[in-house]
Amino acid sequence: MSTLTLEAVSRWFGNVVAVNGVTMSIGPGITGLLGPNGAGKSTLIHLMGGFLAPSAGTVTLDGAVVWRNTSIYQQVGLVPEREAMYEFLTGRELVLANAELHGLTDPDAATSRALATVEMTEPAGRAVATYSKGMKQRVKMATALVHDPAILLLDEPFNGMDPRQRMHLMALLQEMGRQGRTVLFSSHILEEVEQIANRIEVVVAGRHAASGDFHEIRRLMTDRPHLYIVRSSDDRALAAVLMAAGACDGARLDAEHGVLHAQAADFPRFAGLLPTLARDKDIHLYEVTPADESLESVFSYLVGS
Amino acid sequence: MSLPPSGGGPPASAGLGVIHDIGYRHHEGPRLGRGYIARSMFVASLLGAFGIGRSPKSKVMPMLLLAAMCLPALIIEAVVNGVHLKTQPVAYHRYPMVLQAVVAIFVAAQAPQSVSRDLRFRLTSLYFSRPLHRGDYVLAKFAAMTCALLVLLGLPLTILYGGGLLAKLPSVAETRHYLLGLAGAVLFSLVLAGVGLLIAAFTPRRGLGVAAVIAVLLVSYSAVSVVQGISVSVGRSTLAGYAGVFSPFTLVDGVQVWLLRAEPSTPAGPPGTTGGLLFLAVTAALIAGTYLLLLMRYRKVSVS
Amino acid sequence: MNATVIRLTARGLLGRRRSLLLLLLPGVLLLLATIIRLIAGTDETIARTLLKAFGLGTLVPLLGLIAGTGVLGPEIDDGSVVYLLAKPISRPVIVVSKLLVAVVTVTGFAAVPTLLAGLILSGSVGGLAAGYAVGALVAGVTYCTVFVLLAVLSRHAIIVGLLYALLWETVIGGYVPGAQVLSIQQWALAVTRSIVGAEVKSAVSLPVAVTLLVIVCAGATWYAGQRLRTLTLTSEE
Repeated sequence: MSTLTLEAVSRWFGNVVAVNGVTMSIGPGITGLLGPNGAGKSTLIHLMGGFLAPSAGTVTLDGAVVWRNTSIYQQVGLVPEREAMYEFLTGRELVLANAELHGLTDPDAATSRALATVEMTEPAGRAVATYSKGMKQRVKMATALVHDPAILLLDEPFNGMDPRQRMHLMALLQEMGRQGRTVLFSSHILEEVEQIANRIEVVVAGRHAASGDFHEIRRLMTDRPHLYIVRSSDDRALAAVLMAAGACDGARLDAEHGVLHAQAADFPRFAGLLPTLARDKDIHLYEVTPADESLESVFSYLVGS
Repeated sequence: MSLPPSGGGPPASAGLGVIHDIGYRHHEGPRLGRGYIARSMFVASLLGAFGIGRSPKSKVMPMLLLAAMCLPALIIEAVVNGVHLKTQPVAYHRYPMVLQAVVAIFVAAQAPQSVSRDLRFRLTSLYFSRPLHRGDYVLAKFAAMTCALLVLLGLPLTILYGGGLLAKLPSVAETRHYLLGLAGAVLFSLVLAGVGLLIAAFTPRRGLGVAAVIAVLLVSYSAVSVVQGISVSVGRSTLAGYAGVFSPFTLVDGVQVWLLRAEPSTPAGPPGTTGGLLFLAVTAALIAGTYLLLLMRYRKVSVS
Repeated sequence: MNATVIRLTARGLLGRRRSLLLLLLPGVLLLLATIIRLIAGTDETIARTLLKAFGLGTLVPLLGLIAGTGVLGPEIDDGSVVYLLAKPISRPVIVVSKLLVAVVTVTGFAAVPTLLAGLILSGSVGGLAAGYAVGALVAGVTYCTVFVLLAVLSRHAIIVGLLYALLWETVIGGYVPGAQVLSIQQWALAVTRSIVGAEVKSAVSLPVAVTLLVIVCAGATWYAGQRLRTLTLTSEE
C-alpha cells in the first residue's frame, strides 16, 4: 500500500499563499485533483513529489518525509507539465537514459516495455524534437513508467492530446489504478476527471474544498437545494400534492418537455415521500433524475461560493 | 448559462442554431498605421533597454551600468571644478574607450533582452501577423538599441561638458570637443547595436546570447590589443594600426582618431589617410552589413 | 559519478551551436600565436604577454563560464532538470558528474590550445608552454566549479559570471591591489610561476595560491551539491 499523506500543509511564496492548510490522503486507485487555474494544483503536485518544501505541515509517503529524500523516487513516477526535455535524444534513448538513471538491472527491457505501454515503439527512433505535442506527452509517460512505480503523479497530463490519445491514456490510467497503484492527476477539464477518477480532491484558491466521490459531495452540500426532473402520468397533480405535503420547496411545470422540475432542500424527505404520494394519488412515475449532479455543477457550486 | 436574447434575436426554431446579439461591437473606425506601430515598438524597446515599463528586477542591471558610466564623469568634473584645471583630464572621445567594459556589458545584457525574448516566446508570430513589416521591426529594434547606447554614452559626455562649462573652460573649444565626442558616440552606438543585435537574434536563449556577445566583444578587443601591443614593441606600428580594424571598439576609435586628428586610446591609430579611409569604410560596411543580416534573419522567422 | 548523467550532459553541452562558439575561441588564440610568431619571433616576454593577457585573461575565464554554466544552466532554465532530479541519485553525484564534463571541455578547449600556442610561440613544449598550460588548467577547473555553483544559485548565472570575469578579474583586479589576492587568475599565475620562473608576476605566493584554489574548488562543488538538493522547480516564467 503506498499512500501519500499531507498534514496541514501550507506553502507561501512571499505574500502569496499558494496552498493553505491542506490535509489529504492519496491512496491506491485513481484520484483526480481538480481546481480552477491558479488554485494550487501544480504546487500540490510539486509538494508531493519532493520538489518543493512545505512552509508548514508535513508531506509523507508511507510515513517517510518526502522533502530531501531521494529514495522515494524509486516508487514515485512524475510526469511534469512543462514540455522541455532533452530534445536531441531519440524517444528510445530518452526512456533508456531514464531507466539507467533509476539504476534498473535491465534497462533495455524496461524501455521496450514502457514504450509499448504508451504505444510509442515505432516513432521511438526519431529525435524528440520532431515529435508532436501528444507524442511528447506519451514519451513523458514512458519515462515515468519505466521503473514500474507504485505512485504516479501527473500534472495536467491530458493537455494537448487529441481525443484518441486521450482515450488511450485514460485506459492506461484505469489499468494502473486497477493494478493497485496510486495515481494522482490534476486537471481543470471536468469530463476527464468524471470519467476515470474514483475519488476527486477539489482545491479552490489554495484551500481544500472537498474530497470524495462527487455524488457524495453533492449530497453533502446541504445548503443548495437539489433539483430533480420527474416525468409522470400527471405532472400537475403531482406538483400540487408534493407542495402540499412539503416534500419539496418548489415545483415548476415544463409543458414543452412534459416534465416537472422539483426543487428539494431536504433530499431524504423528498425521496421518501415521492413514491408514497404518487401511489396515493394513483400517478405513475416514469422517470426521476437528479438534474444537477454532474461534476460540473458540483464544481461550479464549489468554485462559485 | 445562456443569456436572454436582447431585442432582435430571431425565435429559435427546433434544430437550428441561433447567435444572440449580446452587444459585440466591430471596430470600423480609422486604424493607426504601420508608422504608429513601428514608432511604438521603437519607444517600447528603448524604454525596455533601461528597464522602464518592466519589472523592478529588470531595472537593476541597466541602471547600475548607467550609474557606473556616469559616476566617473561626475568625479572627474568635481576634480576639475575643485582644483580649477584648465583642460578636461579625460578627453571626450576617450571616455567611451576607457569605460568600454561597462558599455560592453550593457550591450551584452540588453541586446538579448530586446530580441531573444521575442524569439523564445514566439512573439514574432504575433508581431508579423499584424500590419508591421519585418523591415519595420528590424528598423525599430536597431534604432532603439542605438538610441539606448547613445543615452548611455551621451549622458556622461554631457556631464563632462556641463562640468567644463561650470569650470569656465574656453566654451567654444569645449563645445566643439563635446559635439565631436557625441558624433563618436553615435558611431559607437550604431556599430555596437548592430553587432549585439545580430548575435542575439540568432538564439532564443537569452543566456547564450549574452555569453556570445560578450565573447565576441571581449575576445576581439583582447586579441587586437595584444597584437597591437606586441607589434608596437617590435617596431611594426603600421601593422599595429591596421590591427585595430578587427574589433568594434578599436575600429570606431580609429575613425574618431583619424577624423579628429586626436590621440588614440590604443597603442596605434590608423596609419595615414589610407588607414583612415579603410577604417571608415569598414565601419560603414559593418553597420550596413549587420543591418542587412538582421533583415535576412528575420525574413526566415516563420509566422506560425 | 554517474555515467548516464555524464553522457547526457556531454551531448547537451557539445551540441552544434555551442560547439561552434567553443571552437572559435581557441582558434583565435592559435591564430594570434601564429601571427605573433611571424612578427616577433620567439621572444619570451612577448610570448608571456600573449599567454597571460589573452590566454589566461580572456580565453580561460570565458571558456570556464560557457562550460560551467552550460552544463547545468539551460536544464534548470527550461525545466528539463526534473528528469535528473526525480531519480534516486544523490545531488552531489549529479554535480560532480556535470563538473567532470565541464572540466574535460575546458581542458580540451583551453588548456591544450594554450599548450599548443606556447609551442608555436616558443618552439618547445617544456618551460613556458607547459607552465601556462598548467596554469590554464587549474584556473579553468576552478572557474568551472564557481560557475556551476552560480548556475544552481541563480537563473541569471551568466550575467553574474560575466560581471565577475570582466569587472573583478580585469578592471578592479588591475586597479585595486587588495582584490588581486581574491582573483583566480592570480592564483593560476602563481602556479605558472613555479614552473616557468620568476619572470611571471603574481600577487600571491604559491602556497597561498594552491590553498585558495583547493578551498574554492572543493567548497564550490560541495555547496552546489547541497543547493541542488533544495532546488525549487518553477513553472514557465
